[in-house]
Amino acid sequence: MANRQAKGKRNGFLARGGFDLPFFIIVITLITLGLIMMFSASSSYSYYYFNDSLYYFKRQAAFAAIGLVVMALVSRVDYHVLKRFAVPVLVVSFALLVAVLLVPPPPGFEEFHRWISLGPLTFQPSEVAKFAIILYFAWHMDRHFKEINSKALYRESRFQAKSAYMAWYLLILAVTCALVYKENHVSGTLLIFAIGVMLMYLAGFNYKWFLLAIVAGVILVIVVVNNPSILPEHAQPRILSWIDKSYDPLGVRWQTNQAVYAIGSGGFFGVGLGNSKMKQLYVSEPQNDFIFSIICEELGFIGALFIVILFGLLVWRGFLIGIQAKDKFGSLLAMGIVFQVGLQAALNIGVVTDVLPNTGISLPFFSYGGTSLLMLIFEMGVVISVSRTSKLKKI
Amino acid sequence: MSRKEKKKLRDRALLAMVLTLVLGFGTGVFGMINVGLIHGEENRRKAESEQLSDTVVAARRGTIYDSNMNILAQSTDAWKIYVNPSEVPDEAAAKKAAMNLSNILDTDYDDTLEACLNKDRRYIVLKSKVDFATKEKIEKLRKDNKGFNRFIGIEDDVTRFYPFDNFASTVIGFTGSDDKGMSGLESAYNTKLTGLSGRNITAQNAKQREIASDFSTYYAAQEGVSLQLTIDNAIQYYLDSALSSAIETQDATYGYGIVMDVKTGAILAMSSQPDYDLNDPYAVSDEKTKEGLDKITDDEERAKATTDALFAQWRNRTVTDTYEPGSVFKCVTAAAGIEEGVVTPDEMFVCGGSYKVKDITYHCSNRRGHGSEDFTTSLMNSCNPIYIQVAQRLGSEKFSQYFEAFGLGETTGVDLAAEAAPKPGVTYYTADRMGPVELASSSFGQSFQITPIQICTAINTIANDGKLVQPYIVAKEMDSEGNVVRVTKPTVRRQVVSKKTADTVTQMMVEVVRGGTAKNATVAGYKVAGKTGTSEKLTTKQEDYIGSFCGFAPADDPEISVIIIIDDPKSGSYTGGKTAAPVAAEVIGNTLRYLNIEPEYEEGENAGQDVRTPSVTGLETAAASETLSSSGFTVKVIGEGKKVKAQAPEAGKLIPQNGVVVLYTESEEPNETVEMPNLIGMSVSQARYAAKAAGLNVQIVGTASDASGASYGQSISKGTKVALGSTVTVSYMTTSTEMEIEDTGNAD
Repeated sequence: MANRQAKGKRNGFLARGGFDLPFFIIVITLITLGLIMMFSASSSYSYYYFNDSLYYFKRQAAFAAIGLVVMALVSRVDYHVLKRFAVPVLVVSFALLVAVLLVPPPPGFEEFHRWISLGPLTFQPSEVAKFAIILYFAWHMDRHFKEINSKALYRESRFQAKSAYMAWYLLILAVTCALVYKENHVSGTLLIFAIGVMLMYLAGFNYKWFLLAIVAGVILVIVVVNNPSILPEHAQPRILSWIDKSYDPLGVRWQTNQAVYAIGSGGFFGVGLGNSKMKQLYVSEPQNDFIFSIICEELGFIGALFIVILFGLLVWRGFLIGIQAKDKFGSLLAMGIVFQVGLQAALNIGVVTDVLPNTGISLPFFSYGGTSLLMLIFEMGVVISVSRTSKLKKI
Repeated sequence: MSRKEKKKLRDRALLAMVLTLVLGFGTGVFGMINVGLIHGEENRRKAESEQLSDTVVAARRGTIYDSNMNILAQSTDAWKIYVNPSEVPDEAAAKKAAMNLSNILDTDYDDTLEACLNKDRRYIVLKSKVDFATKEKIEKLRKDNKGFNRFIGIEDDVTRFYPFDNFASTVIGFTGSDDKGMSGLESAYNTKLTGLSGRNITAQNAKQREIASDFSTYYAAQEGVSLQLTIDNAIQYYLDSALSSAIETQDATYGYGIVMDVKTGAILAMSSQPDYDLNDPYAVSDEKTKEGLDKITDDEERAKATTDALFAQWRNRTVTDTYEPGSVFKCVTAAAGIEEGVVTPDEMFVCGGSYKVKDITYHCSNRRGHGSEDFTTSLMNSCNPIYIQVAQRLGSEKFSQYFEAFGLGETTGVDLAAEAAPKPGVTYYTADRMGPVELASSSFGQSFQITPIQICTAINTIANDGKLVQPYIVAKEMDSEGNVVRVTKPTVRRQVVSKKTADTVTQMMVEVVRGGTAKNATVAGYKVAGKTGTSEKLTTKQEDYIGSFCGFAPADDPEISVIIIIDDPKSGSYTGGKTAAPVAAEVIGNTLRYLNIEPEYEEGENAGQDVRTPSVTGLETAAASETLSSSGFTVKVIGEGKKVKAQAPEAGKLIPQNGVVVLYTESEEPNETVEMPNLIGMSVSQARYAAKAAGLNVQIVGTASDASGASYGQSISKGTKVALGSTVTVSYMTTSTEMEIEDTGNAD
């Protein structure tokens, strides 16, 4: 298990050794492209509402710059330090998830308890919750890896340890998901649940459970599609409008329709960077969840496919880093993080291209949102930190 | 980590990764291909239709001119004011805007506010066709109030303006709110007048604001064709005013008429009175009708009656309405008979007061009978039995042949909207259905229905050496630069009768005016040929009559054909000779003088002889006065100047021999006016004296030879301001008893 290289790196707080350059390049490319496209998409919107085409860009760029510094620092830190934070972060995450339900939501979004303001900054506790789940699960699963993968009994009880742990993880996941669901944040709930389940799968629980979960999930989807009324009120029309493409074209479907028109306008090669017309106040908040439609319009199918491939490469490289990581903690951490980013990107693209119902889910690196970009880049720093210990070809 | 553990983790991680990539991103890529490529074209089109604002640029409608290039109808720039309620920030702004807008636009405040608050809409027109001043006020409102320019908009518009209001209104017609012709020429020539509207395609953002784009395309509008009519403003004025005063004095329902150029068929004037204001077509113009409408208490009923009244006033009755021409038609029967050689003007007939065909007895208007008379005299007397006999000699076949040859079985083809089309077997008898009874009634103009323009065209054929022409009203079409793109060539349809026959009938018709039923159509100085007609209206219950006159002048070399129809006169006289003929005399006299046709006086007419005014402008005042006085003119000098700077009437105008000539010695413009005195109820010499005293010239029309005769009409009504030296026509009518028995004829 221990080899020479690894030995040298466990000395103290700092991580040493080379990091994974391909992953780093992918991340930098995504951040850069994200900024450029966010600027292009937001320009006319911010000009119309703030009389300044750079309004959103300036803020996003500032956070990206801070993020890069943070990433550089975090990537130098031995990720094992994070173990100490696994439980505190989870506690804080719960606290924030409860707090956000008590804070009055911003005007115009009365239904949605998703944001907490700290002075000029706002952030979503669900973003913290995602990382909290990954960190806690990675730490805990690393510690109890043997029990999870054996038939050992839990503390002299009649139950197998792995059953007890599964119950524990499901409990944490259920509470987190319940709280996020209370925010009226269906997509966040699904995302966190998927991350948790993925990590449990990677930890080595019996795959039959996952088959069962998949079957249950499919049944749930079928039930929901057929009876949208069991969903919270704000989510119902989104399902209805996804099933019936002519549903309320000026209301619920407006956003999706505009996105679809934008993608169609782009065609194969796009109308060129900065030339989108649908960003001229047709796609509502083009810098946010529907930024991918503007990317498709300006860069065309080719450009958009390139970005999808970038996300794919991120996932691929992240998983490789995970697989080759020196220990279970780093492995699960890296894979959890890139899975989160990949799944979120995939869901976002699915929503924008009208394959999935419209849920409020942003495109990592591209959608406007300073704190979530900062969080994302920080997480990338963690993965790079992990890459320093993995047995990939180093530079 | 054991090797086994590591392998398990790697296997699971790889599976998870592959699933994420394939399922997750596969879904996205599928979506991209689906909406971006497979349905890309469709989505792109939808996007474009949303982004592109495709506004129609209205083409300027062509102008309508009279034959002297006076503008009769013209489109001018106007503006349309609209709101975009989706951009109204709040109710306070809406209220403020509505208050200001309703004030400026003169609209209802509540309606305007409602429009401003209609959040779901993006475009509501508040008022169209507003003028420049109003538009300026709206622009100021937009500038002075922050945010108003976001939701108050101004667009280009056009409006149609008719400078002469009522003038030739039933001929010209008007346009609706969408700039589309609704009646008259505006409707008949709508496509040509409209032109091709252009399009302005621009890209816009979702808030309806223009954005820079290579999409912007402007297709210029192509201005509509302008029309120059054959209508002459002066002749039209004579006809309009003669008819309108006639329906007033005779208490008639309608009066309509046509003045046609004999050789070409060009319509010089066409009128249907009462007419209406083209600039306000939806107002009932006739006072009597309006009073009647106001009396109706039931709202629904009044609305219906108003609609009926409006449609009635818009009608150009000379082409859209049919009537029984009555005795006017006898000219056609006479022409056919003479052409076929079955009768000559000198052939002697005996009228016994009635004539029996099968079991039906046709009475002559004079039930005692006209006794022995020649064929010419029978036309003068309008003697029905003679015409039945002539028709019998022709037979149904030949009679129908001439009926149709004179254009009475077809539309005239005049370029006006809604010409009533004859229906064989319905509006007239065809040869195969024409038995002796039908032939008899048809011979004197009854039992068939035709339009005034049809009979006018038929009588014009006699004036035009037997050639039937196609009447027309548009002389030229011009493009926006004034280039003539089409000139109407007069069309001769056919030679109906020989020149010889036409001349013979003309002579007979001259006798009708000289000593027959059309005596009141006499115009001193001009030989008028004509025929009167009086027909009973078939459609109505009691005795409603239509009195008509159709003829032409000067008879020896005809210039104009005229038809005058007085519909349902209620003031006592109803025969064509007493109702229509005097009106015709006024119109013919004025028109011929206006056309500067040299008058030829017959013996006994010298009293009213007209002469041309010599040119004295530029001469010494004293010398000019001397010249004029010695020629018998009455001279009136205005100012103290030494030289004559202007004169009224201008040189070369026809005025009565001892008429008034006004000399201006200081002003270069003949600008002195005078109030028109009353000239009604006077003898000829009284009228002449009164006019001379006022500095005006008098033209006498009608049979003024009777010493006892009193004038019954004047062409310019009392109290009107007119230029010094103007000519006013005073109308006289014979009152001799022989005229009472007229040209009606009934079958019983």
